[in-house]
Amino acid sequence: MRDAYLVGAGQSAFGAFPEKSYRSLFRTAFEAAVESVPDGLEPGDVDEAFVGTLGVGGRQLGLSGPAVTEHVGLGGVPCTRVENACAASGFAVRQAVQAVKSGMADVVLAGGFEVMSDLSSDAAKYWLGVSGETEWERLSGTTFAGVYAQMASVHMEQYGTTGEQLSRVAVKNHANGAKNPHAQLGFECSLEDAQSAPVVADPLNLYHCCPTSDGAACALIVSEDVVGEYTDEPIRVAGVGAGSDSVGLFQRDSYTGVPASERAAESAYEMAEIEPEDLDFAEVHDCFAIAELLAYEDLGFCERGEAGQLIESGATEPTGKLPVNTSGGLKSKGHPIGATGAGQVVEAFKQLSGTAGPRQLENPTRGLTHNVGGSGGAAVVHVFEREGAEVDA
Amino acid sequence: MSPTAITGVGAYAPRFRITAEAFEEAWGQFQASGVNEKAVPAADEDSLTMAYEAAAKALETADLAPGSVDWLAFASSRPPLEEEELTARLGAMVGLPETTTGYSFTGSTRAGTRALWAGMDALESDAETALVVAADAPRGAPDEDVDHAAGAGAAAFVLESDGPAAIVDRGTYAAPYPGSRFRETGSDETQGLDVTGYDRQAFTETIRGAVDELEVDAEPDAAAIQAPDGKLPYRAASAAGVGTDAIQACATVHDLGDLGAASVPVSLATALADGHDSILAVSHGSGAGADAIVLESAGEVSVESALEGGDSLSYAEYLRQRGVVTSGPPSGGGAYVSVPSWRRSLPQRYRLEAGRCVECDALSFPPSGACDDCGALAEYEPVPLTGEGTVEAVTTISQGGAPPEFADQQARSGDYAAAIVALESPDGETVSAPAMGTDAEPAAFAVGDRVETTIRRIYTQEGVTRYGFKVRQQTD
Repeated sequence: MRDAYLVGAGQSAFGAFPEKSYRSLFRTAFEAAVESVPDGLEPGDVDEAFVGTLGVGGRQLGLSGPAVTEHVGLGGVPCTRVENACAASGFAVRQAVQAVKSGMADVVLAGGFEVMSDLSSDAAKYWLGVSGETEWERLSGTTFAGVYAQMASVHMEQYGTTGEQLSRVAVKNHANGAKNPHAQLGFECSLEDAQSAPVVADPLNLYHCCPTSDGAACALIVSEDVVGEYTDEPIRVAGVGAGSDSVGLFQRDSYTGVPASERAAESAYEMAEIEPEDLDFAEVHDCFAIAELLAYEDLGFCERGEAGQLIESGATEPTGKLPVNTSGGLKSKGHPIGATGAGQVVEAFKQLSGTAGPRQLENPTRGLTHNVGGSGGAAVVHVFEREGAEVDA
Repeated sequence: MSPTAITGVGAYAPRFRITAEAFEEAWGQFQASGVNEKAVPAADEDSLTMAYEAAAKALETADLAPGSVDWLAFASSRPPLEEEELTARLGAMVGLPETTTGYSFTGSTRAGTRALWAGMDALESDAETALVVAADAPRGAPDEDVDHAAGAGAAAFVLESDGPAAIVDRGTYAAPYPGSRFRETGSDETQGLDVTGYDRQAFTETIRGAVDELEVDAEPDAAAIQAPDGKLPYRAASAAGVGTDAIQACATVHDLGDLGAASVPVSLATALADGHDSILAVSHGSGAGADAIVLESAGEVSVESALEGGDSLSYAEYLRQRGVVTSGPPSGGGAYVSVPSWRRSLPQRYRLEAGRCVECDALSFPPSGACDDCGALAEYEPVPLTGEGTVEAVTTISQGGAPPEFADQQARSGDYAAAIVALESPDGETVSAPAMGTDAEPAAFAVGDRVETTIRRIYTQEGVTRYGFKVRQQTD
């Protein structure tokens, strides 16, 4: 199979933009992605598009993919909407990689968008909640925060994970997000703030939960046959992995891990022929603080049960052994559901192309993105690698 | 009259209590004489869920297989719906056969004894085992006597032709007395014109009339007399031909308030629980009418009661729990599960029916789709779970954090626990299910705690209330 390469990626700011439409947000992201391609790319080069979105607040339930690609001048290009809740655009990127690797397309746009902030809070809760298992889990009164809180309750009971360790996730990600001009909550927070916030779903407080956001993000994936036309410093999609599981937590084998993430990571590492130790950074799905800690374990950054110690050790700070969520993560950067997965790829592109500005890591060569749908019904992992990484490393 | 016997009794009152003092503090006075405190239904309770609580207890204590009940009555002046035959739902909740004859009795606080009366008639005809359930939670305008007195409770009786507590006589009487207690069509508030002498006359005349119809010369140790407040039953003592001691012996109004159609049934249950041998039960309902029933007990009747109080409410909390000061469900919609989809899950919602995979023997809940364990798309053999289990994971959903379909309940009853529970099969295997916590503060639920299921209101959408199981701390 042919190799696939990431030649550009860009995003709109994430935040609350009641004055912007989902199409205009997508246009901002598309233009930023096209502009980021080192040697330039014409919209006419795009052969195919995959677009992730949950439902734009219920307004555009059908054909919301072509609705945005047509808006940015890609009318006529085959476009498929991908829906896997919060992992929608992570899976859109995976579809793009498959299209390129299969030989069916040379230049593929993978993006995502969501508008969530112009709804009443009740309507927003409705939209968020229906990505869980509706008939049983939701109707036991849980919310997404509730389901992750249930996982946290067991992780704390089983491994002694503490509320302070959860709060450290918020402190780290806010410190990172403060350096990201696209972040929705781009301010620093103290450990005290992050421990004393109002409880949302015990043991999770407000600082353990990501915001609801508007935004869009796009990535451009091309084949090895054409990559030379777009860049001299290619970033290879070294590994792709995905998994799924019971949508309801109660039907899963584990409450203290996300099996779909484990499966996705295992496949991605195998394809990339690497171990977790070989990563220079990772963007993980921290919709809730416990989700980042679970990701450490599911992705093999530490042993099962040791994520609390890992965050405490500082290993996942920008200065640590494996910086996690340099973008600010979902917590600080924001979580416009359908745009989140592609947004993670934007950060990977920026770090690997040396364009991450004040949060630039020192010469990273390999990074991972990890995008989860719902509480773990679907997960997708990508490994991106600067070409010649082995030489550089 | 061929005798009818009561062979099993269940009684239930909600855990919430409010005292007369709390009313006095709020209103400067309390208009229900003789009521010291009263039971208040939680936001997820209504007369149907209370009926379930009492009926399940009666069947359990009578050691009766639900399949053997062939006649069912549900009595309440406050059924949760004005039009719908609720015995279909109640029967399904306790697992009665679809061929059970069901009757609803409403429209009066006499509905409970009317149901008992009809049950006796049914046994005299061709029914073999009748289940009579009375449950009520009266309600009036907050500044009216009716609302001050309004309590909540339920009692259920298993009737068979033979047993220790025989109903040996009965009498009834009715005379027109409009306006003493009524609820207009479409109204949620019971009212009365409050013409003291007229109301009292209606009460005593009908009670005297019904008791006079009795052929046996009743000399009861206990008299279960209709109690719209804590004084009126005693005023009817001479009309009923009993002493006030006998009324006092099984009075529930002082601690539970006016139980409406369940007033006499719950007092009767209390008299049987206390082992009284000779019991007179006399109801009164506006309109007006009364029923008198005489019981002679030759031995102990099995009674399971849960009438004890738990948490005390302030008057503000009382108004919240009852939904008086909350604004109802928000706009914007909630998770949508269509009524047909909900109905398909009733064996699980009501009776915890898990499935055993015919390929690998593992349990799945709900039993649909591929087996949770082996993944086979095979058939399931139904396995009803016991209703007992252990909390595996739990959170507290804080105020304002509930999904929209639960927003009204949360506004009324506050934070709640949402858990995953390992429910047990009769053989001790477990299978996980999500469940909301009820009947206790959310902090009372922790990983590893023992819980039991009950049936409560889950939520209401499109006017249709969905009932299903929740979990509470194990009572044993």
